[in-house]
Amino acid sequence: MSVVARPQVTDPRTGRGWGSALTIATRCVLILIGVGIAIQTFIVVEARPQDLITGIHGMADLIWRAIPPDFSKLPAAFWPTLQTVDIALFGTLVGIIIALPLALLAAANMTPSRFAYYAARGIIGFTRAVPDLVWALLFVTAVGLGPFPGGLALGVHSVGMLGRLFAETIEQMDMAPIHALQLTGARRLQVFGHGIIPTILPSLLGISLYRLDENIRSSLVLGFVGAGGIGFQLLTAMNLFQYQEVSLLLIIIFVVVLTAERISAALRERLA
Amino acid sequence: MLRVRGLSLRYPNGKLALSDFALTVEAGELVIVLGGNGSGKSTLLKCITRTLKPNAGEIWLGDTNLCVLEGEKLRRARLELAMIWQQASLVRRSSVLTNVATGALGRHSTLRTVFGGLPQSELAAARGYLGDVGLADLAAQRAGTLSGGQAQRVAIARSLAQRPRVLLADEPVASLDPEASEDIMRLLQRLARSERLAVLCVLHQVELAYSYADRVIGIRDGRIAFDLPRGEVSRDAVRRLYISEAA
Repeated sequence: MSVVARPQVTDPRTGRGWGSALTIATRCVLILIGVGIAIQTFIVVEARPQDLITGIHGMADLIWRAIPPDFSKLPAAFWPTLQTVDIALFGTLVGIIIALPLALLAAANMTPSRFAYYAARGIIGFTRAVPDLVWALLFVTAVGLGPFPGGLALGVHSVGMLGRLFAETIEQMDMAPIHALQLTGARRLQVFGHGIIPTILPSLLGISLYRLDENIRSSLVLGFVGAGGIGFQLLTAMNLFQYQEVSLLLIIIFVVVLTAERISAALRERLA
Repeated sequence: MLRVRGLSLRYPNGKLALSDFALTVEAGELVIVLGGNGSGKSTLLKCITRTLKPNAGEIWLGDTNLCVLEGEKLRRARLELAMIWQQASLVRRSSVLTNVATGALGRHSTLRTVFGGLPQSELAAARGYLGDVGLADLAAQRAGTLSGGQAQRVAIARSLAQRPRVLLADEPVASLDPEASEDIMRLLQRLARSERLAVLCVLHQVELAYSYADRVIGIRDGRIAFDLPRGEVSRDAVRRLYISEAA
């Protein structure tokens, strides 16, 4: 076996030469920029680590007053908990129903026209860009307090999140079976029902379950702006300094979130 | 059954893919098209299925000229024109039986097939077609679990479910081992005879053409080099198809 020696202008181990000097300078500048960005975040958020230390007493007092959780309020918490889960379910269902046709229009390999493609992408982008909390505020103003605006907010925001992921899934699917069905003389809807849906259904269900999991977390927060559910209950208890009820509600939230996460993960694993 | 007359197609980049091409495939006949890469074989099939629209010429399927059809009329005409490819192109997550039965989708109403599923009569017929290709016992299996040869047989069964008059095959054995290739060619030959199908098959395997074709068409640079019964095709004529490509 022979080894062919190549002429070397610069020894990469010592890094000598103009190329290496430039690389080192670039790295230094990048590190300085990174450090600069980190420092400015501390300044902008007015970070005061000493406040954390002085605030420990207040936090300990809060925890002390929250123990033990007030389990007598458990029956009263049932309905808001159900509302929270149903807000998420409603929002996810609305999201799926609207996102699926939009995703077909927004998928480059399926869209019937460039106009439909850009229009669908625009709707998906807009509904995703506006946070669900802002949608909730808008819907609370429009339809009043309660779980309905919460469900609507999650539904509209889910259109954006699901629409984008559905469209990407459709764009990545194997088109050969679809073309094969088209050439048998099947109509568009038949190709959709018997070719596209069976091909992408597991992925769509997986994405939807993940979205449901996310929506359950979001629906807890939506209550803070009057969109119903256990979040609203939590805000009320906080405002009334009912810390033992707060701790009960936090336990319920923990159990709901964890359960939803585990069920969603298990189902997605089975679909994979 | 299938008659092509004066077919020409020039791609947008200016390349002439087919020039004044003509062929006829009768019912019960297996015609094999040979030719080098880029000679126009696959383009010919794409024109016949009207995936590509030729610049000139006529494609007659019985009494219907496919070249003048668009929209719903073209869709209806396609019902009688089945196609299989190098890859079986099955819906991998659906069962073998469902894949076969989807060949008949175009013959049934959209609402019924989308929301009510495939009619029982079609599922029963699909079992029969699976029996014809020797895979009746795999009906319930997922298509994604099949071997290449099995998948290609299922694709052929799906094309039968379409109840076509013409079967087009674009290199159907290209990804199969020699034994599976022979199986598929034997099957196509048998179906041409038993179902009175006009089968037009594009191949690269010259020996298979010598073994199974009723007629062999040689194609070079988008033109017909020869169109002869199997027994009259000389080895030299076939060799020239590929020498031309290398030069």
